[in-house]
Amino acid sequence: MNNQELLSETEWKFDDTSKIPFWAYTNKGIYEKELKNIFYKKHWCYVGLEAEIPEPGDFKRTVIGERSVIMVRNEQGEIHVVENICAHRGMRFCRKKHGNAQSFVCPYHQWNYTLEGDLQGVPFRRGVKQDGQVKGGMPKDFKPKEHGLTQLKVAQRGGVVFASFDHDVESFEDFLGPEMLHYFDRMFNGRKLKVLGYNKQRIPGNWKLMMENIKDPYHPGLLHTWFVTFGLWRADNRSELKMDEHYRHAAMISTRGSGGKNEQTTNVSSFKEEMQLNDPRFLDVQPEEWWDGPTAVMMTVFPSVILQQQVNSVSTRHIQPNGNGSFDFVWTHFGYEDDTPELTERRLRQANLFGPAGFVSADDGEVIEFSQEGFEAKKDYQTLVELGGRDIEHTDHMVSETLIRGMYDYWRKQMGV
Amino acid sequence: MSNSWIPVANQEDLIEDDVIGINVNGHPVALYLIDGEVFATDNVCTHGQALLSDGFVEDGEIECPLHQGKFCIKSGKAMCAPLTEDIKTYETSLDGEKILVRFE
Amino acid sequence: MTTELYLKLTQFYQDYAASIDLEEWDSWFNMFTDDCIYKIQSRENYDRDLPMAALSLEGKGMLKDRIYGVTETIFHDPYMQKHVVSAPRVISSSEDFIDAQANYSVFRTKNDGIAEVFNVGRYVDRFVIDGDSLLLQSRVCVFDNDMILNSLIYPI
Repeated sequence: MNNQELLSETEWKFDDTSKIPFWAYTNKGIYEKELKNIFYKKHWCYVGLEAEIPEPGDFKRTVIGERSVIMVRNEQGEIHVVENICAHRGMRFCRKKHGNAQSFVCPYHQWNYTLEGDLQGVPFRRGVKQDGQVKGGMPKDFKPKEHGLTQLKVAQRGGVVFASFDHDVESFEDFLGPEMLHYFDRMFNGRKLKVLGYNKQRIPGNWKLMMENIKDPYHPGLLHTWFVTFGLWRADNRSELKMDEHYRHAAMISTRGSGGKNEQTTNVSSFKEEMQLNDPRFLDVQPEEWWDGPTAVMMTVFPSVILQQQVNSVSTRHIQPNGNGSFDFVWTHFGYEDDTPELTERRLRQANLFGPAGFVSADDGEVIEFSQEGFEAKKDYQTLVELGGRDIEHTDHMVSETLIRGMYDYWRKQMGV
Repeated sequence: MSNSWIPVANQEDLIEDDVIGINVNGHPVALYLIDGEVFATDNVCTHGQALLSDGFVEDGEIECPLHQGKFCIKSGKAMCAPLTEDIKTYETSLDGEKILVRFE
Repeated sequence: MTTELYLKLTQFYQDYAASIDLEEWDSWFNMFTDDCIYKIQSRENYDRDLPMAALSLEGKGMLKDRIYGVTETIFHDPYMQKHVVSAPRVISSSEDFIDAQANYSVFRTKNDGIAEVFNVGRYVDRFVIDGDSLLLQSRVCVFDNDMILNSLIYPI
């Protein structure tokens, strides 16, 4: 079946986005269209942190959608993002995950590019000299300028780097919108970042499910029983759900109350009330000034990244789709250059809650895998997201799926479905 | 061959505005004839491992065939990326038909 | 190092693997000292001196808390593990300590009955010689396959 035929099976049969058809997760034509309309057009996608490439010539290979790109710092210290495809034979020439280079060279025929992606050398461009004659080589009208690497538009803010294949994309600030920008700037307030390391996992589910997971405040107290067991989750915690005006990005903002095990832990479930951690350092939180109130803010920047602050643990979580039914999820944990060693220790200890082995994250990957299993076998069925009503609105409690409804409202417009 | 003038070729071997590669006691040298004047440089490019004598002479510069880096033939100066290192030049002189190159 | 001690070390590596494969968690954390370090860390982080790890536990209390999480709170697809551990390579030894390493591979089998290579790496260890027995003061499982197949639940 070609994509056109596949797309013909995709009709949105509901009045609103309080139901989501399974084909949104299973259809290959839809997925191809997502790459084209969302990842490669009109959106800023996450590529990394400036702190990952501190020196001139430093580069990091990463991904936007399914396309391999290189984030690199040039001699002048500016950050550029180029696509990892040689202009000659299309090879993904850069194989190292990171490194330092003076120029990029494709090993196949040694086409040679500047760090900004301009073609600077083509072997035997003028041919070879043989018996007093020059033979072969590129045509006279070959212009190196026209055969550079694809250069992406770059946006930097607060030490975070985004890029877009679409040079007509709106400014990064307009893309986020004022409300989301406020929470972005809260976490990336100009202090230099310090990379603590990476965790990577391949999750066999549709990439949107991870966005939905972080737009779903209903599940933490129910799926992540670790939170409840140790008195960390209360349904009556102060919390807010906010979106940009297009409903594509969102922030779940929560403030842990002073209550804890001694008060009513949760009105969801309160089993194993006697449980105590053998080592409470997992949860030894040091409040930081920049929090300005909330103890956790989880931001989804559509479509490519989740920005996490959960007490002292801060990270970016990069979504790298590889097919409609699978994505790689890359966590970059960081701190700030002015952190004390003790605070760094706290960030590292609390990181045990997150990532592919995390006490309250490992289960997210699992449920996404089994949701996808459900979808694949019953393509004309649908999920239900009616919690908190069928409207899309800012909300001041956790028992709502409004952010998911919002994302699909936006998604439908981008996809024309 | 230290600090000595060594005969390396005959004038008739050279072509105006072009370059030839020769081997002097195992050392690859490029010889140029520009406006009737003879110049000599190392023949192996300071960037990749290509021979400049396979390259192209234009406006007093030699362009490496591999990555199109250009050196000033007279001074050996690297003129553009991807070159980062100048190329060594040698003094030349004529003894009748013979071309001499001075090695230090 | 005496042959006897080397055999003891070899036996330790195999006992360790068996404890995990058989899910005998008490015997697992009793193989560590009270102030132990236990990490499962990608080779990428390890080689670049980045401190982040998939799991980073300090002290037996944290090991117990991890087992509680694994057995009681973390929702996950059930799976079995089989470890294949190479002979240990002794890096250095003294009266009180042994620094040793061994390669391992872990196969995962879920309820669908299909086995897959789950984690491949190297144990980087420091043992304390405690009378007649050995205890792990530090074990870092440095794994090559930095893309974890969805989630990593059990110790390695």
